[in-house]
Amino acid sequence: MINTILRFGAIIIILILLQILLFNNIQFSGYVNPYVYIMIILLLPVVTPHWILLIVSFMTGLIIDLFSGSPGMHTSATLLTGFSRPYVLRIISPRDGYESGPDLSMKDYGLRWFFIYATTIVLIHHTVLFYLEVFSFAGFFRTLLRVLLSSIFTIGFILLIERYRKGR
Amino acid sequence: MRNLLNFLLKYHNIIVFLVLEGIAFYWLTTGNNYHNSRMVKSMQGITRGFEERINNSRGYFSLREMNSNLATENSELRNEMERFTRQENLKFVSVTDTVFKQQYQYTSAKVINNSVNKQKNYFTLNKGRRQGIKVDMAVTSGDNVAGVIVGCSENYSVAISLLNLDFRLSARIKSNGYFGSLSWDGRNYRHAVLNEIPQHISVSIGDTVETTGYSAIFPEGIPIGKVSDLKKSGSDFYQITVELYTDFRKLYYADIIGNMKKTEQLELERQFR
Repeated sequence: MINTILRFGAIIIILILLQILLFNNIQFSGYVNPYVYIMIILLLPVVTPHWILLIVSFMTGLIIDLFSGSPGMHTSATLLTGFSRPYVLRIISPRDGYESGPDLSMKDYGLRWFFIYATTIVLIHHTVLFYLEVFSFAGFFRTLLRVLLSSIFTIGFILLIERYRKGR
Repeated sequence: MRNLLNFLLKYHNIIVFLVLEGIAFYWLTTGNNYHNSRMVKSMQGITRGFEERINNSRGYFSLREMNSNLATENSELRNEMERFTRQENLKFVSVTDTVFKQQYQYTSAKVINNSVNKQKNYFTLNKGRRQGIKVDMAVTSGDNVAGVIVGCSENYSVAISLLNLDFRLSARIKSNGYFGSLSWDGRNYRHAVLNEIPQHISVSIGDTVETTGYSAIFPEGIPIGKVSDLKKSGSDFYQITVELYTDFRKLYYADIIGNMKKTEQLELERQFR
């Protein structure tokens, strides 16, 4: 139990640092902003109580907001993603159900399942985030393009990190 | 009472969610000016120090280019100085001008945080109230428009970047003097849009766009960019795309310009509104 908490503490700190130090500085163009920190919500164990999930999402979003100078955008988007995670997990549950393993990794559940799971969560997060950023539906399709392009990069980075996280 | 408790127990997740989302939305809708939020203010000390450290290390990568920019600026300034000293030598008299009063004061500062990839971009400078920076001062970079100060703390200030959907600037075309309103459309960080230029005047690609002195923030005639594309749309106005001179991705140093006569002008104008 304590071990799991420490492990996730480390994961959370590493991902937040990665986001602030590396991915916030990528500024590839206005269309591509990978937000890899959402992986924190992705990896938490299946057995995590819903309210802990909510608080972790809130704190994560808060820290990212403070460091990227945006008011409440990341907080609301991450919180909504954290809220919807149990429902997503229920809908796309793998054939054998979930094991009570330490976390939801690609190694345990296979690339295909993990890809679908990551895509769903990232799309929810990015859609909310980018529409909150412009705060209007004017230029709907341009924002949609930003959502899609950024999601592709975020998912790519997440799969890459996940590939090397546990080693082969 | 028991029903209430049962209700709370049954829906505690949704209640926690709604409360936290309420806090986030409150922050989102009221804190848009970045500085209004109390929480941000108290966290600033920590995050700013952090940002400054990141930026210090990032500065090394662009030293070469910064050097060459500084060198060109130096030579330009030296040329200008030469002109003035020559004139004085010719006259052989010293003039103390008591009527002249300086209108603009200049300070330079370092950009310690910046972004170009959001829709509402801000950047942070390492000078604040203690160094005489005030809200609504103009920010330029290498003599081109960069932004306007929107918030100051003791030692730092935040400026709204030209690359922000909320930014409006009164701008004119240098060759014919017609003015319009310049804003960013959120697409490309190298381009902005100049509106309200009527179609009956002639504008050509390559014309310089500069500030008007109307807002009492920017001095008159500071270059913004050049016309890179113009379209005649259905309305009476051109759609002019302006290529910005300032490369916001390479913003390392900025000059802050304060208008010393601004309060006077605004007070006078207020009487007629």
